[in-house]
Amino acid sequence: MIQTGYFQVLMAVVLAVVAFVLARWKSIPVEKEIGFGTVRSFVQLVAVGYALEFIFASDSIWLVVLAVAIMLLVGAYTAGQRAEHFKNGFGIALIALTTGSLVTLGLMLALEIISVEARYIIPLTGMIISNAMNATAIAFNRIGSDLKGNRLAIETSLSLGKSWKESSRRYYRDAVKAGMISILNFMKTVGIVALPGAMTGMILAGVSPLDAVLIQIIVAYMLLSSVTIAAIISVELSIRRFFNAAEQFVV
Amino acid sequence: MSRGQGIGILETRNLTREIRKNSRSIKTVDNVSYVFRKGGVYNIVGPSGAGKSSFLRLLNRLDDPVEGEVLFYGKPLASYQPTALRKKVAMLFQTPYLFPGTVKENLEYCCQLKSDDRAVSYLPRVGLKPEFADKDAESLSVGEKQRVAIARSLILEPDVLLLDEPTSALDPASSKKIEELILTLSADLCLTVVTVTHQPEQALRLGGETLLLVQGRLVEAGETSEILTEPKTEMARKYINKELE
Repeated sequence: MIQTGYFQVLMAVVLAVVAFVLARWKSIPVEKEIGFGTVRSFVQLVAVGYALEFIFASDSIWLVVLAVAIMLLVGAYTAGQRAEHFKNGFGIALIALTTGSLVTLGLMLALEIISVEARYIIPLTGMIISNAMNATAIAFNRIGSDLKGNRLAIETSLSLGKSWKESSRRYYRDAVKAGMISILNFMKTVGIVALPGAMTGMILAGVSPLDAVLIQIIVAYMLLSSVTIAAIISVELSIRRFFNAAEQFVV
Repeated sequence: MSRGQGIGILETRNLTREIRKNSRSIKTVDNVSYVFRKGGVYNIVGPSGAGKSSFLRLLNRLDDPVEGEVLFYGKPLASYQPTALRKKVAMLFQTPYLFPGTVKENLEYCCQLKSDDRAVSYLPRVGLKPEFADKDAESLSVGEKQRVAIARSLILEPDVLLLDEPTSALDPASSKKIEELILTLSADLCLTVVTVTHQPEQALRLGGETLLLVQGRLVEAGETSEILTEPKTEMARKYINKELE
């Protein structure tokens, strides 16, 4: 098992220094970001570590709910920023992320894959929300740019008496697929191109590789479910912002 | 029924459309009233930015007016299902858009049945051979694309065909063929054709009636030959003398 303590972390700062020196040597203007990023990631992760220790020890369901709610709000805000071509991206992202998380976690609890414990729910929800957030952001971006960039195709279809749903079906599918592409690629290459971070972390923490793999498989299916739900809901709700009841393209 | 003398099929009443630009409201169509008759050929002319395309888009409800209304067979457009209305009031754009795939697939886009051979039978009506059906839509010239787009609309058996500058991207020979096609379709199918054009000469060749729009307002309307050769208003004279472009 890897030795972990503040001394080891301090030694690992050498790696950040290597990056800093290389960037400076090659005049790549990222020294500030490397400096801030090194300090910020340290502070954020240590703070989260203490917060999780406190939540796990308290065994309070309300603290778990609060932690999940904060993750959902921050995730929805971040994904909502990608809604450049329509309004209320935050609201749509919040619905998509909440539904994706609740359905997936609910199924995992119902199927007794995990139990109602903070040490399962919080880290898994974090993974679910972060992946669903990326899927939603990509889907938002794709649906907006595709619809705006294909006005002629869409209005041609509308002018041939097709409904807005028929006229935008192709872009709907492309946007959902774009949101899912990351998890689909991950599932294709997992274990071949790279070992996932969570699995690597578990192995480093002393868990047997086979146990780590089994947990990773569950995590992969969990992410597939949540990302698919979030991508479909985010496109389903955002695409309606581009059309009105008179089947007009209004953005 | 002689051209332009039939019953009113489309009627605009005090039609006004506004758009927001730099937080200001601009009237692109301003209080336009006119009656389009069954089987008639109509030209919408005017300088750039006169609101010609904006006016056309109101006729098949791609946009809605802020004031006034459009009547189709005497009933407001809002009383029709938009999808059903647009099958009867078809519209083609300045740049013809064909969906990825073959010409046949484009024609079938409008049919209920995929194996409907009826679709291909529309190609000769627009002067294209049936062999065109298997061509990749992307490989066609702009003129050919425009013809396929017209054939695709005709499959819906519309009563009105709205054409937004259909020849602006074409060479003179292809433009002439499209003009001949417009006249043939109007005469043979008793189709009402409303064409937006930038060129008064084209309106003269198409004949029928002409509406002259300037800054969204209907400046003059009536028989094309009269409007474009013996204008009654100063604005129309300026337009013909190309002083408004």
